[in-house]
Amino acid sequence: MTTFTKIAWRNIKRNTWRSSITISAVSIGLAALIFLKSFVDGADMQMVENYTNLLIGHIQIHKSGFQKNNEIENSITNSYVITSVLKNIGGISSLAPRIKDYTLISSSEGSSGILLLGISPEAEQKLSDLHKRLRKGKFLKSGLDSEIIIGTTLAENLKVDLGDKVVLMSQGSDGSMAAAAYNVYGIVESGAEEIDKNLALITLKAAQELLVMGNKISEIVVKADKINSIDALSMEIKNNLDTNRFEVLTWKEVSPMTYQWLQFDQVFTDLILFIVLIVVASGILNTVLMGVMERIREFGIMLALGTKPQQISGMVTIESFLLGLIGTFFGTCIGTGLVFFFSIRGIDLSIISSALNNFYIGSIIYPRLDVISIAFYSSVVLLVSIFISVIPAKKASRLSPIEAIRHI
Amino acid sequence: MNRATIISVKDVTKIYREKHSRIESVALDHVTLNIEEGEFVALAGPSGSGKTTLLNLIGALDKPTGGQIIIDGTPLSTLNSSQAADFRLRKIGFIFQAYNLIETLTTEENAEYIALLQGMTPKQRKHETFHILKDLGLEAYLRRRPSQLSGGQQQRVATARAILVRPKIILADEPTANLDSKTGSALIDLMYAMSQNLNITFVFATHDKMVMDKAKTLIHLHDGRIVV
Repeated sequence: MTTFTKIAWRNIKRNTWRSSITISAVSIGLAALIFLKSFVDGADMQMVENYTNLLIGHIQIHKSGFQKNNEIENSITNSYVITSVLKNIGGISSLAPRIKDYTLISSSEGSSGILLLGISPEAEQKLSDLHKRLRKGKFLKSGLDSEIIIGTTLAENLKVDLGDKVVLMSQGSDGSMAAAAYNVYGIVESGAEEIDKNLALITLKAAQELLVMGNKISEIVVKADKINSIDALSMEIKNNLDTNRFEVLTWKEVSPMTYQWLQFDQVFTDLILFIVLIVVASGILNTVLMGVMERIREFGIMLALGTKPQQISGMVTIESFLLGLIGTFFGTCIGTGLVFFFSIRGIDLSIISSALNNFYIGSIIYPRLDVISIAFYSSVVLLVSIFISVIPAKKASRLSPIEAIRHI
Repeated sequence: MNRATIISVKDVTKIYREKHSRIESVALDHVTLNIEEGEFVALAGPSGSGKTTLLNLIGALDKPTGGQIIIDGTPLSTLNSSQAADFRLRKIGFIFQAYNLIETLTTEENAEYIALLQGMTPKQRKHETFHILKDLGLEAYLRRRPSQLSGGQQQRVATARAILVRPKIILADEPTANLDSKTGSALIDLMYAMSQNLNITFVFATHDKMVMDKAKTLIHLHDGRIVV
């Protein structure tokens, strides 16, 4: 240990109360940073998972141009071309064909414009969680081509219940008027108003018949094995499909608003984390600056004896670094411990579950333990503790030996 | 034997100005003196006569308002703060009236501080430190902090720190002021021997008659001027 490190360390020990407060401030601040980041990451991850699992999936494959205008005329004719390619690509958990159309639904009590999905019930149950959100009735099965599942708000608006009849009206792909009646077989309550108010499901075959589509489909929805491999999987699918004929879109491209909201959420979180970081930095600055003011005479003696100004500033920096190092160690341990504990146990926010459901977030949030984030914030706090010492270090190094020695 | 001039003070004036006012006080008024290598010099005079100010200027701790100081061939006015620190480290040892030990370091660490800054090897440093502290009767207090030592012991540690690396010049401001006569006398004898044997130049600011008697050259200051 060099003399300057030794002196710096002893200065930390000299005022244990003040040093303890700084170390506590750094520890608590860093633990808060780690926990907050993990909490937001966990909530965001849950949001993405719930949002993609509920309906839109991880990747959608359409005929080129479909995403722009959603016209059923722009449908996939030969879906086997796509499915045969997808079979040879790893990392796919499940896939399901769909027909997607905007139609009018009406009952004897009212009508509403909705998004109609024609689904393959068995494939859909592997891909999405809609079947888990049934409030009443049962989920569709193949062959139930006269049945329909609607959202709970839509059912309330149409004043219909299980077994009641509703009529779908649209335009067929051949330009003809398409209309058919269906029995309400199930009512879904997803918690997301957008779905509960505007969604109806019928079988793929029923949709193809209603819209005169033959064997055509609107899209194939893909679910990846891992949520963080979506972009890579999308790229691989693109590399294996004729992208002039088909468009391959991740959920971020299908629903850019949701993705932008997530990005905004991240920026907002980063802003809060930055403010916490400033508070931590202020704590370190305060202690080190007070330590410098308290030792002006000692610095004067050292300067008089031949210690160079830069050696004095180096010593102050070492002191700040040591405070930061100890604080970072405890902060990392506390933060990681908290995140680990709650990542298993979860944080129950059922008191605000209705608000969370609108954002596709469950009432129990599991903070996400991300080693890279923990390492990043720990390093940032440590670096801040070094950089923040520049002010007191400069002050100490600019002292005049004579004036400093006379300082009481 | 002709000895080289190691300290040359030419027409030096030091005026202190109070901050935010025009009040000035002249601490040194056109002082000129030369001190040769190995001399044992005492600056005498009443409080406020300018003794400490002159020591601070010779030690490159402060800058004169006018005039020039040349130490061992180096004009001090040419040095910036970092160069001045290095100059003090290499050429000058200080013994302050108030000891000015570093509170967080032990007796041994305080004594070896300058040696360490100079880059002396750890083995040599430990060896030299132990011997000098032993000579000053401090071998039993190596691990003690300044607050655990008496005033006399602290002054001896400060002396050990100054003489350990055998600088060319040692500037001592009232080194015996807080010592009993026996300890003070022993300390001055030790310094005198070093002056004779190692050719170290000693400059004391003192009121102590014993120091003045021992000095080869006695310079009297009064109101910032040298009086014969």
